[in-house]
Amino acid sequence: MEALAKSLVNAVPLLAGVPLWAVTLLLMVVVAVVILVFALTFEGVGSLVLRKVAGDIQARIGPNRVGPNGILQFLADGVKLVLKEDIIPANADRLLFQLAPYFVFVGSFAAFVVVPFGVGLIAADLNIGIYYVMAVTSLVVVGVLLAGWSSNNKWALLGGMRAAAQIVSYEIPVGMALIPAVLIAGSLSLQDIVRSQGGLLGVFGWNLFHNPFTFFSFFLYFTAAQAETNQTPFDLPEAESELVSGYNVEYSGIRFGFFFLAEFGDMFIVAALATACFLGGWNVPFFNADTLPWIWGNLLSLGVFLTKAFAMVLIMMWVRWTLPRLRVDQLMRMSWKYLVPLTFVNLLGVSLWLLLFKGKGIPGMIASLFG
Amino acid sequence: MGLKAYLNDIVEAVVTTAKGMRITARYGVDPKEEVTLQYPEERWEIPDRYRGFLHNDIKKCTSCTMCVKVCPVDCISLEAVRGADKKMVLAFYDINIGRCMYCGLCVEVCPVKSLTHTSGYEMASTDRGELILHFIHEDAAEVKARVARQVAEAAAKAAEAAKAAEGTKAAEPPGPATPKPAGAQAAAKAPEVPSLGTEPTPAPEKKE
Repeated sequence: MEALAKSLVNAVPLLAGVPLWAVTLLLMVVVAVVILVFALTFEGVGSLVLRKVAGDIQARIGPNRVGPNGILQFLADGVKLVLKEDIIPANADRLLFQLAPYFVFVGSFAAFVVVPFGVGLIAADLNIGIYYVMAVTSLVVVGVLLAGWSSNNKWALLGGMRAAAQIVSYEIPVGMALIPAVLIAGSLSLQDIVRSQGGLLGVFGWNLFHNPFTFFSFFLYFTAAQAETNQTPFDLPEAESELVSGYNVEYSGIRFGFFFLAEFGDMFIVAALATACFLGGWNVPFFNADTLPWIWGNLLSLGVFLTKAFAMVLIMMWVRWTLPRLRVDQLMRMSWKYLVPLTFVNLLGVSLWLLLFKGKGIPGMIASLFG
Repeated sequence: MGLKAYLNDIVEAVVTTAKGMRITARYGVDPKEEVTLQYPEERWEIPDRYRGFLHNDIKKCTSCTMCVKVCPVDCISLEAVRGADKKMVLAFYDINIGRCMYCGLCVEVCPVKSLTHTSGYEMASTDRGELILHFIHEDAAEVKARVARQVAEAAAKAAEAAKAAEGTKAAEPPGPATPKPAGAQAAAKAPEVPSLGTEPTPAPEKKE
């Protein structure tokens, strides 16, 4: 960000008198606002698409009253959430109750910082990108547990406890399933991981097709990540049929809105990470977006990245409306008895593969056969 | 759990998920699968024997009170007075449609088929009073007053006729003698005799 600020100061002579830290701060705020606007738009439109997809899959129509074909429904929902009274239960722990939604929202939103949207479109290319995402999304557990505890409601408490158990359990397979991508790129930075999947192989340069273990790793990651972010087949923390609404049952108005936004933000983060780590990220097939002029390269790579990420989000919705909710013991069994061992086997397999074949994937070897 | 069972579980999970997702995808893609009826704009076809709101054709109604007696939820109330031509005249006939459970017993029991089910089913209201259907639009007291007047007029006419008849033929007591007191009494008794309804209102028969 500082480098960008320096180049900006160099490019615009008017800014020469302004201290560098001020320009940097301003840039940071601008970038944060841009990403926030993107996140909120995604969350709004995502909720509409989710409901439309739900309608289609369940042989219904879905929202179709607000605006042409219901496309303004998310604005109506947003206005409703903002205008509703923010109720705090009399026996709730007021401070924690008020604090919890921010934890959840911040945990989800902070992960957007390292999402590689394009060649140069990344808020901060941290050299510990994946580690950072894993760490910062853990903040969600704190928020959910706080919400469950402070609501002073049995449903909320049960939901919070379930969420804590679930997120902690599933963080292990999620991390383990992402490590193959890290091993192949040799870096935790998401930009490096995306760049490692570029090249002339096009689609087959993706980590998904690197070797059989990474192929399975993608599906393991996708499954575990859905569970980690409480998406529907694993949405036990808010199981409507048993816990009413789980940890957010006592929340209303904008505080509920934060939980809601965080849920959709998590959805995008999962899709973005899956895209960046296994589906080639913003790499344009058979084309090096780095060599294009700055603006076109970024636009093209942004388009490619968002297409992939949104496709992943759609698949998540599809899964969401297909599978019934698991039981608590089934959920735990799935994590500890299936996903954790499988991700470890995968990790071992990928490591051995990289050791034996000197980091080359199957498509790379086939390509080298033909010169 | 052996390794085979373990792997079988995984395979089964993948296969069944794929199967389920294929089914949902088919529903998601095929627009013909939509079953939603856009209600206020589109409506379903109402069956011939649909039991909708009740309607009483008061021209046919004989005020026999069969419907009142058979109604399991007491949603029908009526009051009738005997008119000048010996037929019962309805003072009011109300159906509390908010209480009606659409069992259809009243329609079945109606001897002159004046009570029928219509195909109507839309009646939303913020006031329960609006859910009471009134089939006599006149005020009950007014109807009773009018009928009583007619009865009194008829009685007066009958009395005149009887007097005239007495003048011509003195020997004929049973014929005109009976209508005379009957007519006079009917005016007085009118409200009590057929007080079939629930609320017997104070009769306005003092006018004669």
